[in-house]
Amino acid sequence: MNDTKQSILPRDDAGDQSAALPTHFWRGLEELAQTDAFLDAVAREFPRAASEWSDPIGRRRFLKLMAASLALAGIGTSPGCYEHPQGKLVPYPQAPEEIIPGRPLYFATAMPARGGYGVGVLALSREGRPIKVEGNPDHPASLGATDVFTQASVLDLYDPDRSRNVTFAGEISSWGAFDARLQAVLTSRQQDGRGLRLLTGPITSPTAAGQLADLRKRFPNMVWHQHDPMEPVNTRGAARLAFGAPLRPIYDFGPARVILSLGSDFLFEEPLSVRYAREFVNGRRVRAGRAAMNRLYVVEPTMTLTGSMADHRLPLGSRDLHALAAAVARGVGVAVPDASAPPLPPRYRPWIDAFVADLRQPSDGGPTLVVAGESQPPAVHLLAHAINDALGNIGKTVRFLDPVAMEGAESLEPLVADMNAGQVDALLILGVNPAYSAPADVSFADALARLSNARREGELANFTARLGSHDDETSFRCQWHLPEAHYLEAWSDVRAYDGTISLIQPLIAPLYGGRTQIELLQSLLGRGQRTGMEVLQAHWRSLTGEAAFQAWWIATLQKGIVAGSTLEPRTPPAVRRDALANPPPTSAGGVEVLFRPDPTVWTGEYANNPWLQETPKPFTKLTWDNAVLINVRMAQSLGADGTPLKDGDVVRVTYRGRAIEAPVLVLPGQADNVATLHLGYGRERMGRVAMDDTVVRGFNAYLLRAADRPWGDAGATLERTGGWRQIVVTRNHHAMDELAGLPGEKPSLKPHSILAPRMSDDEVELHNRKIVRVATLAEFRDDPEVIHKAARENEKKPLLSLYPGWDYEHGFQWGMSIDQTACIGCNACMVACQAENNIPVVGKAEVARQREMHWIRIDSYFGGAVENPLVVHQPVPCMHCENAPCEVVCPVGATTHSDEGLNEMTYNRCIGTRYCSNNCPYKVRRFNFLLYSNYDDPSVRLRYNPDVTVRSRGVMEKCTYCVQRIDQTRIHAEKEVLDLEELARHAADPDERDRLLHRAREREQEIVNTLQTACQQACPTNAIIFGNIRDPQAGVTRLKAQPHDYSLLAELTTKPRTTYLGRITNPNPALASFAAGEERSA
Amino acid sequence: MISTSREAVRTEIPVLRRRHTYGSVGERISAIIFGPAPFGWYLGLGVAMLFIGVLTYSVWYLIYQGVGIWGINIPVAWGFAIVNFVWWIGIGHAGTFISAMLLLMRQNWRTSINRFAEAMTLFAVACAGMFPLLHLGRIWVFYWLFPYPNVMRLWPQFRSPLVWDVFAVSTYFTVSLIFWYVGLIPDLATLRDRAPNRLAKMAYGVLALGWRGASRHWQRYQTAYLLLAGLAAPLVVSVHSVVGMDFAAAIVPGWHTTIMPPYFVAGAIFSGFAMVLTLAIPLRAVYRLHDFITIKHIDNCGKLMLVTGLIVAYGYAAELFMGWYSGDTFDWYLNLNRLAGPYGWSYCTIIVCNVLVAQFLWFRRVRQNVPLMFLISILVQVGMWTERFVVVIVSLHRDYVPSAWGMYAPTKYDWSTLLGTIGFFLACFLLFCRILPVISIAEMRELVRATHGGTRPPEDFEPKYAK
Repeated sequence: MNDTKQSILPRDDAGDQSAALPTHFWRGLEELAQTDAFLDAVAREFPRAASEWSDPIGRRRFLKLMAASLALAGIGTSPGCYEHPQGKLVPYPQAPEEIIPGRPLYFATAMPARGGYGVGVLALSREGRPIKVEGNPDHPASLGATDVFTQASVLDLYDPDRSRNVTFAGEISSWGAFDARLQAVLTSRQQDGRGLRLLTGPITSPTAAGQLADLRKRFPNMVWHQHDPMEPVNTRGAARLAFGAPLRPIYDFGPARVILSLGSDFLFEEPLSVRYAREFVNGRRVRAGRAAMNRLYVVEPTMTLTGSMADHRLPLGSRDLHALAAAVARGVGVAVPDASAPPLPPRYRPWIDAFVADLRQPSDGGPTLVVAGESQPPAVHLLAHAINDALGNIGKTVRFLDPVAMEGAESLEPLVADMNAGQVDALLILGVNPAYSAPADVSFADALARLSNARREGELANFTARLGSHDDETSFRCQWHLPEAHYLEAWSDVRAYDGTISLIQPLIAPLYGGRTQIELLQSLLGRGQRTGMEVLQAHWRSLTGEAAFQAWWIATLQKGIVAGSTLEPRTPPAVRRDALANPPPTSAGGVEVLFRPDPTVWTGEYANNPWLQETPKPFTKLTWDNAVLINVRMAQSLGADGTPLKDGDVVRVTYRGRAIEAPVLVLPGQADNVATLHLGYGRERMGRVAMDDTVVRGFNAYLLRAADRPWGDAGATLERTGGWRQIVVTRNHHAMDELAGLPGEKPSLKPHSILAPRMSDDEVELHNRKIVRVATLAEFRDDPEVIHKAARENEKKPLLSLYPGWDYEHGFQWGMSIDQTACIGCNACMVACQAENNIPVVGKAEVARQREMHWIRIDSYFGGAVENPLVVHQPVPCMHCENAPCEVVCPVGATTHSDEGLNEMTYNRCIGTRYCSNNCPYKVRRFNFLLYSNYDDPSVRLRYNPDVTVRSRGVMEKCTYCVQRIDQTRIHAEKEVLDLEELARHAADPDERDRLLHRAREREQEIVNTLQTACQQACPTNAIIFGNIRDPQAGVTRLKAQPHDYSLLAELTTKPRTTYLGRITNPNPALASFAAGEERSA
Repeated sequence: MISTSREAVRTEIPVLRRRHTYGSVGERISAIIFGPAPFGWYLGLGVAMLFIGVLTYSVWYLIYQGVGIWGINIPVAWGFAIVNFVWWIGIGHAGTFISAMLLLMRQNWRTSINRFAEAMTLFAVACAGMFPLLHLGRIWVFYWLFPYPNVMRLWPQFRSPLVWDVFAVSTYFTVSLIFWYVGLIPDLATLRDRAPNRLAKMAYGVLALGWRGASRHWQRYQTAYLLLAGLAAPLVVSVHSVVGMDFAAAIVPGWHTTIMPPYFVAGAIFSGFAMVLTLAIPLRAVYRLHDFITIKHIDNCGKLMLVTGLIVAYGYAAELFMGWYSGDTFDWYLNLNRLAGPYGWSYCTIIVCNVLVAQFLWFRRVRQNVPLMFLISILVQVGMWTERFVVVIVSLHRDYVPSAWGMYAPTKYDWSTLLGTIGFFLACFLLFCRILPVISIAEMRELVRATHGGTRPPEDFEPKYAK
């Protein structure tokens, strides 16, 4: 072994930098050999941590361990590896003008999110540390709200597993050494760039695009490749077929009265989902006297958040889905050639008729919209375009935009072919991680490892480098790994899906000395060491002109968006009818596999983010894992001896000659013969959270993915292996509730019998709990009080309380209203709450013990038939009961009532009897059973919100209605009120005094009305409204006055301050017999 | 062994067998202390010490790591600790019941068993008292439960039943301890007089508080003892009523019922007498105390267990009936879930152990069959422990909101703490046997006098049991 290492010592071809180069070679060779010893070494990459994890209690310490390594970073980093920013030091006593200790500062920036598209955010900085990210209300992709990934992105900044060093061959090197080596590589070759390859993700940054254009001028033979596991191949391919141009559809759900989704999860998976969710829900808010709703039909193979919001949902495999789309197209007058669509079973006829009738003539006359999901084949997209065209929706609810990402990249396949053919001698990878996320049939990883290891006359023959946030699968196979700066550390710019440009500004100097893609491209251009800010300013200065630049720069940074940069929609040419004649290649039989981005770790880039790992996935409530999602019938047919497969039973999924083994999870509403596999798990190499087998198991679905059908295809087989793996769900997701008053709803007496055989017959009584309440729009119009029909008898006669009531007639009285018609179950509120309130992550083992700490949870209730249930999402924070059962039982008075109606928790006083939790009927209290918070860890400490106590072991905690925000707002309001009152006192004129006093009251109200809880602020659909219920004009007061406002478990006389608006659905009377829960796909 | 033949059963069984004199009583009982210890004692103490080691480690690890080493979670935030607390405090009921209630009711058969039953009470309450402290998330601030003066002027929250608990249990322990000690004083003097070495003499002498057996001593002693009995008797009812209110004051289905206090008291006496038998039967075998602890005692304990067992059974029936009759969804579901939910086995256990097994006690032949009574006493204790498991855990694991339902599984530390306290209890008891008289010498002498009037029994001595 040593001999091998000696023989491949890299020759000193980087001048005097050799001293910085390592003296032995890296583990990649063993990796090529795939020896057991190597695999063992990889598995024990962190032996110190691994030995901790053998102890079930010690296992939870992984977060501490991963962060403790940050403290060592400064020791481990040799001088010169870290470039300290050059500048003058100013003593802090002369504080920067804008920093007031204790007051947060917001900076408008943007997060490069899915598809490379930017999402405008306001990053909150406390004493120089970014600790929270909120949506930018001015940004079209955000509208002030965020999704779960944006909320969690701030934790990635402090991820101690982010790589901290430039490494060469696995040994610590320096940026200086890399720069020298890069220039040597660039100058030693022919000047045209032959053999030089650049591999990036989608590039939407105008500055980077300009640099890339310059680069291609400088190296005309350089080839630029692009990789994106979420590349919208079907959408783009269909647009080329339909319009002859790579147009991108952008939807306007606001005016659409009838929406048909053909496998589209537009509420969650699209780049503009946050905005779409807002528009969609705005079209269906039901208020007394304003009872108009859009109607959503969803046809989809697997349960998505969009499907859960449908008024009618039809689970269909992709083949039938295409046939149904064709039938609907014919119905609205599109000439679809017969041959192009497979036949559809006649039982779908009533559905098609209803869709067609509703789309042609919406009941309230507005426009309609048909949306095809990216995972559907281009044929379905073509049909959707044709239907929208035929219905006149184009230009009204669907518009088309030119691409904003830079065009002209080659894909990954030619790169691999060229690498294997020896055509590549220098490869620079920016950001993307194709060694993990490339389709299995592209085998990029092997090609890269060979390229990196190839030797010519004992020297390295090629140059491979990768800029990435983690030393992951791709970096492992490259010679050079370069740490990438987080977007909160970076200067850059980015375009949103609709073209809007945002500047990205840093809130903190790079923690680990990372560089941005722009800075690296600048090095590639050989233009010296210009910083990201200089490059960015140079780009924009050239566009605005020197004179206007400074004002433009300040204004744009403040606003967060570049004025006038939004793309104008293009009027597309008519849909080419001949394109419809192309029948899709018919799939073979067998099980259809669907590859979907994971709802928490997405395509794998968030796999090292413990917040996201611990966020329960929608419907399944699965944490820390992925699973093969199948329906009940498949679980039964795959089971042995008549016992259906249960959650966690392992199956072997064979697809196109490749197989993986993975646990199953039964999902209500999954189409038959369809298995959903979420991408993003089974990381071979990333950080400790993502990688360790004892913490995150999961399987790598990319190992089955094929380049030609990235979203899956039929032809797979599933077989039971007999194994079982523990998969951890936070809630008993089988729990159901009778959904009162749904037309056509005939709840079976045993809702659990199929789903959960372990539950016994006596759970029939569950029906009467009325935890979630549902009514149809028609019922609501007839009787706005319909939601209360579901109330139980004893709810109507409230019990008396033994204790005297509180005085609620003074000051602010806080309350919250949660609209279950609006909640789409996206989890953004959960992660926002976690970030705001310093909520610890407990780890998989502790979640398995039901000790997760989330202060707000999303309960999902299923109603009706298990094959196609109606789903209601119910966010459950603390109810802040006026008669709080938790308060009377605390022996030390640690949980008390405030005169503003808050149920308060005094952590310092809590001794941890946990009686309050037992006595909480909503079970919203969370207990620190062990020391979950981290006090020692520098990186986690940096992220903590300084306004919120970090809870220690042995104390109870729960939702506070973000009391720190309330207090800040109250202080702010009081100061202004006092100032105005002071003025009034000195006013000579009594009229002036009255005016000032009136103004003081008004101003107080104005300030208080800006108050938002963290969950409310993050919510894309404004489902959560918080405020002062004593103010009759406050939004929360108006919502609580709605006829469909109800309290959870009102009969207990707890008088919750958090109340719910019942879920109103808008089913089509023509499909009454197929109301949710009735259609069985059997 | 005692004959359990039909003939023997028919005859009246004495509470004090054979012809004992004042001297023989003192000799016999103090021999347990001053004589050599039997092998069984060493064996028992060895095993008990082993479990104390287990307890020490469990408690150390608990304080080091936190209550998360147990199986508790949300929703089942109370687990074995509270189950064990209620169970132990229940066991602690029999002693004071026997000493005080039976004394006031002039049941002279109590004299043979009251001393060790009181000791058992103290040790059981000590075991019980550990758990509410250990179960605290932050044990180091347990004293915040007490109303002590402090600069922050913070007081306990008196609406909480847990505060009532603190008072009820500490009062009960204090009064039981004083009652026990006062009862011990004449015996301590006897031991002082009989002690073989100076050290023991001095120790017992100090504890005997200068008792000389003067008639004035006796007169005051008996008044004090009776008064203390009057004070202790209501505590038997109050302490477990308050423990019952820990649950009854909550709004958890299955806890929020008015039957809790009486039902808890009956259950406590039920398990307490079972524990008396569990201790008495080996004790009389090991120390050959068949003269003092006769079959009559076992029979009487059996009768009391039958009565309290029937009250407990009534409690079960009443809970079921009220669950149905109230028409309350949650209450009725709770009952169904107890019967046939995932913890259905626990309900079956309590019905078998506490209701069905107790019915055998209707039969004198069963009550007077010592091995069978030992078995029943063990079964009843298992049943009563399981009953607390049902009350605490099965009620909590599925309450109002189905999405917040969960399951509870004890960890090894739950078990080791339970077993550790059993070891602690046994060790205390075995040490007690070697240090203090397990049977009250003074009261047995009174019994000698009551049964045959003096130092010398008549030749035609025919013991009679005063009804």
